[in-house]
Amino acid sequence: MSFLFILAPLILLSALGAAALARPVHAALMLALSLAFVAVLYIALGADFIGLVQFLVYIGAVAILIVFGLLLTRPADEAAEAARSLRTQLFGLFCALPVAIVLLNVVASSPELDRAATAPQNLSVAAMGISLFTTHAAAVLAVGVMLTAVLVGAAMMIRDTDPEDLP
Amino acid sequence: MSPASAPTFLETLPLLPQRLIGDALRSLGIPEAFAAAAETAVAAIIVFSLFAGMFALLSLIERKVLARVQNRPGPNRVGPCGILQPVADGIKMLTKEDVVPVSADRLLHFLAPVLIVIPSILALGVLPYGREWVPVPATLGLLFFFAVGAMTELSIFLAGWASGSKFPLLGAMRAIAQMVSYELPLILSATAVVMLSGTLSLPEIVEKQGGWTLGFLPAWNLFTPWGLVAGSIFFIAGIAEANRCPFDLPEGESEIVAGHMTEYSGFKYALFFMGEYLGLFALSSLGITLFLGGWQAPLPGLGFVPSYVWFFLKLAVVIFLFLWIRATFPRVRMDQLMRFAWMFLIPVALLNLPSAAVWHYAGGGLMGWLACGPFLVLPYLALTIHFNRKLAQSTRTYRFAE
Repeated sequence: MSFLFILAPLILLSALGAAALARPVHAALMLALSLAFVAVLYIALGADFIGLVQFLVYIGAVAILIVFGLLLTRPADEAAEAARSLRTQLFGLFCALPVAIVLLNVVASSPELDRAATAPQNLSVAAMGISLFTTHAAAVLAVGVMLTAVLVGAAMMIRDTDPEDLP
Repeated sequence: MSPASAPTFLETLPLLPQRLIGDALRSLGIPEAFAAAAETAVAAIIVFSLFAGMFALLSLIERKVLARVQNRPGPNRVGPCGILQPVADGIKMLTKEDVVPVSADRLLHFLAPVLIVIPSILALGVLPYGREWVPVPATLGLLFFFAVGAMTELSIFLAGWASGSKFPLLGAMRAIAQMVSYELPLILSATAVVMLSGTLSLPEIVEKQGGWTLGFLPAWNLFTPWGLVAGSIFFIAGIAEANRCPFDLPEGESEIVAGHMTEYSGFKYALFFMGEYLGLFALSSLGITLFLGGWQAPLPGLGFVPSYVWFFLKLAVVIFLFLWIRATFPRVRMDQLMRFAWMFLIPVALLNLPSAAVWHYAGGGLMGWLACGPFLVLPYLALTIHFNRKLAQSTRTYRFAE
């Protein structure tokens, strides 16, 4: 368990950095770093597949989406938001509190907590896939339909309205 | 040649240094964990120095090949036939002044070129170069390859943003848009191979491509209908992922100076090039592993040649294809690039997945070809006819270049 004592402070520090740093790009990069550390934690715990998928999705897609959004929406003038007022900080804390309570509650009441301490279950990717597409098939289908709807919606929004734009 | 027979000496030659060091450490009474770590480190050093050397060589060969295509001699001043040109380039890069713009974010500006090399080196670690020669045998090798590849985009963004200048930022935006778009067909085409191999482990994927159809044709994935389509998509998307011509918009010299590398000089600039070429090697090696049978010999009866020789011969052929394409094709436009990925490559790659399933249930062979063909040919025809008709209807206007 020694790696936990190395990784947990790193995760916490980078997450705090994401919340505290003034420039949005720095904050986004700290968030990416924190998510990368979480991926390393998964791998250290023996959940290789989840760790790699975490890396692929959160560094390769979510972090990229955030920084790309920042690039597209914000002009270069970021100095104006460098100073964060006490009011915004308090408001942020107020918003974060319910989330923290829910998360703590879920973790504390989880029945997995005892089992994880006893024996780490080494699940192969094939076994994971079989359970995903048999016992949890309904959930997978629901997520698939939802994501397809999102994709189609996004495609509709960016569709060319100007016929001159065609190649 | 039976697979159970002991590997020959030549076959295990690349593993010799790591075994010697591992045995030496064990005989000294060093704990097993440290000895194993040292073995892996030696394996990593061998692979890295090999590909770094190939990068130096390729920088010369690329200029020579381009020169040959353009009917000029190319670099021929340093050493016989210009063979010492990479050394001269290295000395030049090392001794150049390292310029950091005033408006740059100093830490991130430094970090970007370092971060861009790391994923390529990591990705090279899981590839099977020979029957015995796999630096890090990972059961989730393919997933690892794509997961570390995700870091490249972030480091290109870092380079573009931290330079604090217009052209790098524009170049980085182009690069990210392009890489995100082309990563989809790349992964989707690799997925077809995973479906039929039933494993994410790269050495096993190569093992599955052993054997011969009709007695002489190797059973590589490329020689199946879904493999042909997936391999072609992988190759095209790979060119785009590696930012090579004709998809080298992120660093289009005539448009945005050098894209995200504009504000870099000296060795940091060289690191960008190194990251790009190592990425090219890694992607080509993955393509060979997935579709061209990895280290498998191309004809029966050639099994006596060490398997890694075949791998690197195939790599040379694929790299030459990249150079040839660079010398031949003009650069595409940004909107053409995006439209090609989203409207053609991704639909075809998606349709390729059910065709792979059909191939599996048809049991391969002639039945498989007949069953798979319509799945791939009809959508291809429909898409191209549709786009050609659209192209014919639209009148071309030049809004920005009057």
